Order: sequence, then structure tokens, then C-alpha cells
Amino acid sequence: MNWLTSYTNLASAYIKINFKSLLAYRGAFISQMVAMFINDFVWIAFWCLFFTRFPVVKGWGVNDVITLWAIAASGFGLAHMIMGNALALPGIIMRGELDSWLLYPRAVLPHLLLGKSSASSWGDFLFGIVVYAIFVKPDLPHFSLFMALICSVAVLFVGFSVFTGSLAFFMGSAESVSVQLRIAMITFSTYPSPIFQGFVKILLFTLLPAMFVSHLTVSALRNMSMLDALYSFGGALGVLLAGIIMFYVGLRRYESGNLMEMRG
Amino acid sequence: MSKYFYIALTSIRSRLAYLGELGSKTIFLFVVLYIFLCLWKVTYAETNQSSLGGLSLKQMLWYLVVTESIIMSLPTIATLVDQDVRTGALAMQLVRPMSYPLNMLAQTSGERVLSFALNFLVGSIIALIFVGPLDFNLSGIAMFLLLIPLSFALDFTIYFLIGLAAFWLEDTTGLTLIYSRMTMILGGMLIPLELFPDGWQQILRVLPFSAIVYGPARVFVTGDLQVFLSVLIQQIVAILVFAFVIRIVYNLALRRVFSHGG
Repeated sequence: MNWLTSYTNLASAYIKINFKSLLAYRGAFISQMVAMFINDFVWIAFWCLFFTRFPVVKGWGVNDVITLWAIAASGFGLAHMIMGNALALPGIIMRGELDSWLLYPRAVLPHLLLGKSSASSWGDFLFGIVVYAIFVKPDLPHFSLFMALICSVAVLFVGFSVFTGSLAFFMGSAESVSVQLRIAMITFSTYPSPIFQGFVKILLFTLLPAMFVSHLTVSALRNMSMLDALYSFGGALGVLLAGIIMFYVGLRRYESGNLMEMRG
Repeated sequence: MSKYFYIALTSIRSRLAYLGELGSKTIFLFVVLYIFLCLWKVTYAETNQSSLGGLSLKQMLWYLVVTESIIMSLPTIATLVDQDVRTGALAMQLVRPMSYPLNMLAQTSGERVLSFALNFLVGSIIALIFVGPLDFNLSGIAMFLLLIPLSFALDFTIYFLIGLAAFWLEDTTGLTLIYSRMTMILGGMLIPLELFPDGWQQILRVLPFSAIVYGPARVFVTGDLQVFLSVLIQQIVAILVFAFVIRIVYNLALRRVFSHGG
């Protein structure tokens, strides 16, 4: 229990510090947030146009897709506004920059992940909540479940980023592969799940676990199904566990970059 | 003129050295085309239609191959100009015996042509595997080959103008993002203009976005002469208008360049 309290305190301290450092470049921070807001909104506009012409796609309506986008964007945003280094992991490993993180009396992975906040992720996070509140107009139980599912999706995205980022321990230059896998995961996560069938559906429950974002969360919210919400959490924890194992197995192969580095 | 041709050629050669990096981006193209194939397959099946917006499912996927290849081949024009302005590197460009806008056009066009060719090749292979060959006609391909360079030139003029805004704005990335997303949605990258609400279509057809993305793609899949002529006129008029605006803005911007020593 002491362990949990200690890491919660560490996380809240890092969130505060990272937020303050983002505010040091206020103009750039706000413009990145707004840019991400616009980027996400274009996709909502696309789906609104699409559903104006074709009102239902395999049982999904426009509100389902907006819900999906809201959960995916906010989940991704929450993950990387708190654990922004998850996105930079392959580069950090490849350049031998783990050294400074290995010296701290903390578990390497959570400490490393907390070390940075992604500015644009704040835009993603806010976008999801605003869009869900304005377009879907949820009642309190739906909104509460929505917020809980955002946490589940955030755990999944962190786990997936750690898993793909840790490929750098084994492949060396894994930055491009990691980015491509992450983009594929995000892309598959933001389309209605019923359009994928057969082998691809199995793939999306396993290697590219997008169904835990796009299928179970929307189903949980649509039917207020706690079982689907639990499956979603279970899947997210499974992906996180796989990421943690991959990281620590890979860490045994890590070679120092002998870099002189100072962290302020 | 030949010097700009050689700049474009050099740009292609230097990009060829990083073919692996360009190639890795085609993984995303595969994912996007596969997802859109799934989406449109379901949509065609659920509406019980063999043609939507005048396109069959096969034509729709080939249409997306062209639109995605156009969008994904975009070089970072505005960022390059922005950096030249912000770092002062522009002053070095000005002493060279060549026009800075034309130099930038040649440089980025070389990169774009190569990137487009690679994306289009990979996209075509994916489309061939998923839906088979399109019923090509030679005149359609010829019209497409005429529209594509004009589409790139028009896109360049707008991005170049955004880059020049760095003389007055603190940050141009927001403008770049807004323009790129408008091109994606209003240019018909994701949905052909015929599937937009009726009231929107007339407006979208006269905006430059459709001349960059929708026009070349539609002509490629249908070989429609009427669409070709209207897009060609739209492209030429838009390029002339934006080139004129660049001339004015560029001359105004040059008054703000102060170089000393170094």
C-alpha cells in the first residue's frame, strides 16, 4: 500500500512539473492543443458527412462513432499527457539514453514514462470529453462509465506503446516500426468495429488490440454493460502486462550509450 | 529553366538515398486502404447499390489510391519556408542567382514526384490484390498525367504562402494543419464530392481543394472529359491567382529581411 501511495505521489508531482514546463512555452503549448483539437474535429466532420449519406453502418450510427472517437482521443490523450515518454521510448533505448533513469531508486519503467508530457495529448484529452458531452449529451451514469473507460483505453495505449517501443531492445533501430505499429493501432481503433471480420478481427483482439478500444467500450456504453467494461479493462491490463514483460526482458540486453546527460 | 530542372532532379536523387524511410510509410497506406475497403464494402452491401456517387466499389478503391497518394506524398513545404525565414537562412538563398520561390518549387516537386510514384505503385498493388484492375482508358491516363503536376503546383503555391506567413506570425504550424485538414475533408480525399450533401457540392467544386485531390482522382477512375476540362481550368486559374498573391506577399516580406555580416 505504501508502494502505491509513493508512486501516486510521484505521478502527481511529475504531472505538476510537466504541466508547468509546458506552460513555460505557453504559445506553443496552446497552439499544439488547438491543432490537435482541429485535427480530431476533421474526423468527426467526416463521420457526420458519412452518416448523413448512409445513416447506419452494420448497426452503428453517428453517435456510436462519435463515442468511439471521444473515448479513443481522450484515452490516448490521458495516456501520453501523463506518460509522454511512452511515445519516445524506442528513441531513448536506441540512443542509449536509459542510463540516467537507471540511476534513480525507483522502478525504471514507471519513472521513465512519467518523465515527460506530450503537449498535443492535452488537446486530444479535452477534445474527447468536450465532443462526448456536446454531441452525445450523456446522463450521469453514462458519463461516469465514459470516464472510467477512458482510463482503460489509456492503460491500453501505454501498454501498447511500451510493447512496441521495447522492440528497440531487440531490433536496434525500431523507431519507424514502432511509429507505424502505433499509427496502425490508432487507425484501426477509430473505425466502427463491425466492418472488420474473420482473421482481421482476431488480429484486432490480439496483436493490434484495437477491438478493446473500438468494440468493447462502445458496446459497454451503448448497453451500460459492466461485463463489456470489465472485458475492456481486462484486455487493457493484459496489454500493459505484455508491455512490462517485454520492457524488462529487453532491458537485460540494454547497452549503455555512455552519454553525459543532465536532467533539470 | 534548366537549373530548376536539375534542382528537382537532385532532390529526387537525394530522396532515393532514403528509399527505406519512404517505403516504411507505405505500411500506413496499406492500413488505410484496407480499412476503407472494409468500410465501403459494407456501405455498398447495406445500401444495395452497385454504384455510389457514380463509382463502383472497384472504382472507389482506386479513387482512394489516388487521393491517398496525393495527400501522403506532400513534402513539408510550409515548414521549410518557415524555417528559412525564422533561422535567417533565407538571406543566404537571396544572394543566389535564382528565384527563391522557384527554387523551393523545384526542390519540393522532385521530392513529391518520387513519393507520389512510390505511394501510387504500392497503392495500385494493394488495389489489384483486393479489387482487381480498373478498366483503364489511355485518354483517362493522359488527362490524369496532365492534371497531377498542376495539382502539385497549386498545392505548393498555397503551402508556400503559409510558409511566408512566418514573417508576420509566431508559429505557422497551426495554419499548415488547418489547410492540410481542409484539403483532406473538403478536397474529397475521404469521400468523393458527389457523396457530400447537395448544397455543398457546388461550393466545393469551385474551391481549390477539389482541384488538388478530387479532380485528378475522379479523372483517373472515370476518364470523364467534362470533369477534366473543368478541373484543368480551375487549376490554371487558381495557380495564376495564387502565384500573383505570392508575388505581392513575397515582395512585401522581402522588405522585412535585414541581413548583416556573418
